[in-house]
Amino acid sequence: MTDERSILQAIQGFGMDTITLAGPLEAKLDAMKDAGFRQVMLKANDLVGHPQGWRAAAASVRASGLRGTGFQVLRDFEGLSGHLHQYKVDIAKTMLEMCATLDCDVLLACSSTSTHATQDLDQIARDLRKLAMLAIPHGIRIAYEGLSWGRTVNEFTTAWDVVCRADCPNLGLGIDSFHILASKTPLDALDELDPARIFLVQLSDFMWQEARTFEERMATARTFRVFPGEGVHTAELVELVKRVDALGYAGDYSFEVFNDDYVQMPLPMVSQRARRSALWLAEDVLRRSVPLPNQLRLRSAASSAA
Amino acid sequence: MSDFLLHPQHAREPLQASFSDEANPIGLDGVEFIEYSTSRPQALGQVLEMMGFHPVARHRSREVLLYRQGALNIVVNAHPVEGGAVPAVQDIVPSISAIALRVRDARAAYAYVLERGGWEVPTHPEAMELNIPAIHGVGGSRIYFIDRYREFSIFDVDFVPIPSVDPHPPAIAGLHFFGVVQYIGMDRTYDWVEFYQELFGTALIPDELRFGIMPAGKLLRAPALDPGNGFMLQLIEPQLDAIDASERLQRIGLGVPDVLAAVRALRALGMEFVESEGAHTEQRGAITKTYLGGVVFELVHSERT
Repeated sequence: MTDERSILQAIQGFGMDTITLAGPLEAKLDAMKDAGFRQVMLKANDLVGHPQGWRAAAASVRASGLRGTGFQVLRDFEGLSGHLHQYKVDIAKTMLEMCATLDCDVLLACSSTSTHATQDLDQIARDLRKLAMLAIPHGIRIAYEGLSWGRTVNEFTTAWDVVCRADCPNLGLGIDSFHILASKTPLDALDELDPARIFLVQLSDFMWQEARTFEERMATARTFRVFPGEGVHTAELVELVKRVDALGYAGDYSFEVFNDDYVQMPLPMVSQRARRSALWLAEDVLRRSVPLPNQLRLRSAASSAA
Repeated sequence: MSDFLLHPQHAREPLQASFSDEANPIGLDGVEFIEYSTSRPQALGQVLEMMGFHPVARHRSREVLLYRQGALNIVVNAHPVEGGAVPAVQDIVPSISAIALRVRDARAAYAYVLERGGWEVPTHPEAMELNIPAIHGVGGSRIYFIDRYREFSIFDVDFVPIPSVDPHPPAIAGLHFFGVVQYIGMDRTYDWVEFYQELFGTALIPDELRFGIMPAGKLLRAPALDPGNGFMLQLIEPQLDAIDASERLQRIGLGVPDVLAAVRALRALGMEFVESEGAHTEQRGAITKTYLGGVVFELVHSERT
């Protein structure tokens, strides 16, 4: 498969993340587009740091034609009380407004690392439900992600427990392969998830076999992640993607690659690596370009019978 | 919800259970008014008059008119938006910009919904005007909470009566408030069902039970202190191939004991109704033509007067 159109078609479910690239927002968006991507995961810093302000940044994103995969990241929202909670509600509202202005319909919220936050799962669920309510008028879904160094919620299994307790239709899971690989959560638990409630899957790998302590995980996650296929956990990552796909997940995959080397490389070098990774996942892992039986019919059986 | 529960420091006696029942957490008691925003208030006024409404009062400080018939209040807001630039398209087409809910205690209701994820909207009262609390609703609209509707009304404070007109014109053919139709985005039914359930205690009505001639979507019933004041919310997702999938309050539904008689009376005032294969006047209900690019009224058979 070498035709450019086939390649673009194959990788359309994958996107890069602004955090992976250095430089001004417009240059990042151009590099992604040139590499064939049609969507971008946006981080608030990239917009707020725009020389003409975040609204100009939002206009650039719209002008680029790239679709927003999602918007990140709301941190340490849940489990607080009193004025801390009120403060976080104000932060969350501003993030929701930015998210809506960008036409993104997913806001990523990651689990709290704060020692000031309660460890009561029911209160965590209540706060996340409130966050989801705030997001409903804007049409935004909240993807809740368990950081592997989260204080209370540090595996997707606990995050899923909290999402179930909160029970709000626009609150679901954000899956990040890094945290699953780092905390060595058994992948069997993926089969218990409802694919309709996985709102985002972020993929990345890293280069050491293990990241045992929270400090190690944090340092690795923030400086030395690599694209899928470039790290040492390829087998587990393939297993993860295949399981999520088999579950029926039809949403986007985004490359959450924080890497100190990549942010000092020329952008096309990095975006081409991302493209190679996306193509590998689409073709060799998920076999996206292989037509499914009956997919090529012009009319369904029902309408031709009528 | 009792004030005591929200402000325990004010409680002199031990905490009391909430005095509203679980099914009506904020003490909802119907709709006080519906607000339209438009940059063409006179054109909208004409449509409202064909629908049997009369202008009865104007706002003290803004370009806002109150239209009324029976217990129905419609507020037409032509006050320019801050910034005052050229009105956007959505302002040229009149839109339902707010719905004001009657509640037992507005302050308590407001605190209740904010606690659960209602999104407060800043209000800008002028001197001697009421500060009416509001939260964000669908598509940029607002939901107000009003507790002064019994002995005296907000309209006595913020509005000046138009001289020489009857401040309480009777309703044509027993028209009364029945519900609001909300257009919602694709796959968003359960988000909105949850929103209204969580904040207002609405209940989903079985799909077999429908009113009027436009049965699409999901129907929610809002609780009321006086059962006669309950109202409906209808949530409708777009067709798969719809060009416009935006979310908004699309139309209001008015209940009437005899639809055919009401249609005759309104036709005499100049209102036109849709008569097509898809929708036509019958005893169950009727729907008016679309005026000014977006103003529609639906009539629904309903015995309440």
